[in-house]
Amino acid sequence: MVVDHETPRLENGQTDKEVEENANVLQFMDSMDAYLTLIHSLSSTLRRGWLELASARHSMGASRVNTVLLDHTSHPAATSLLVTQDEGKVDSGKPHFTLCKWASSSNENSLLGEKQSSQDKLHPQLRHRGSTELYEEKTSSENKASREVDDPVQKERSKSLSMFGTLVSPKLRAAQLSFEH
Amino acid sequence: MDTVVGFLMAGVGNVDLRRKTNYLIVDSIKQIEDTFKEFTTREDIAVVLISQYVANMIRFLVDSYNKPVPAILEIPSKDHPYDPAHDSVLSRVKYLFSAESVASGRR
Repeated sequence: MVVDHETPRLENGQTDKEVEENANVLQFMDSMDAYLTLIHSLSSTLRRGWLELASARHSMGASRVNTVLLDHTSHPAATSLLVTQDEGKVDSGKPHFTLCKWASSSNENSLLGEKQSSQDKLHPQLRHRGSTELYEEKTSSENKASREVDDPVQKERSKSLSMFGTLVSPKLRAAQLSFEH
Repeated sequence: MDTVVGFLMAGVGNVDLRRKTNYLIVDSIKQIEDTFKEFTTREDIAVVLISQYVANMIRFLVDSYNKPVPAILEIPSKDHPYDPAHDSVLSRVKYLFSAESVASGRR
């Protein structure tokens, strides 16, 4: 007597494996869509940055906005990425990237403008298209804190531009913000 | 060059005590290859930004790279706009889907 064990099928005729595969494919397509959207946004922001840099070079002069002026003395990067792995999972293959903007050695405790972007987020849950955005109103204390945080950030930004001289064109500052974004 | 200057203004430039930098303004293809190999093996680099135009010069190296960290991101340059046909990530996706369609056609 032969006992035939059929793969259990769901009501719509799909097996669990097929459902999982379809979910993975959908998640993959969502990730690719997000990647293309981000690339498009990056291209647009870079174009703006190049235009502003060219404007700054035009107003300040080519000799003042030049690679010759780059700081070749030993200095750490003010903006860096922190890479961590999933806890408890060695070699999980899913690193987490945390952006630390303008975190110099003098203010290591204030990681300003952190943006967490992990590979998990490149493979997110299925995106719900048409979702609404929620805006939070800042309280007055939060506004004060953000102003206090902005001062060291501004100092770091000015320090980064100091290689081009003490007085720089507003276009150069705008270019800096574009490349920062 | 403008791309490097811009990102350095954003604060990502690092120069160590031996005056080794974490950026390169392209010179020769050999130098690009050597620098790509160096940057992808350094432990203090998490993401390598490379102009797509420069990546095309060492396409075989970029396409054969498959580690998650440091991640390679091809970006457009001022004189050469982004071309999705040459992006290594999209090329792999295209290859994946073309392989899938061939495999499904054979079933």
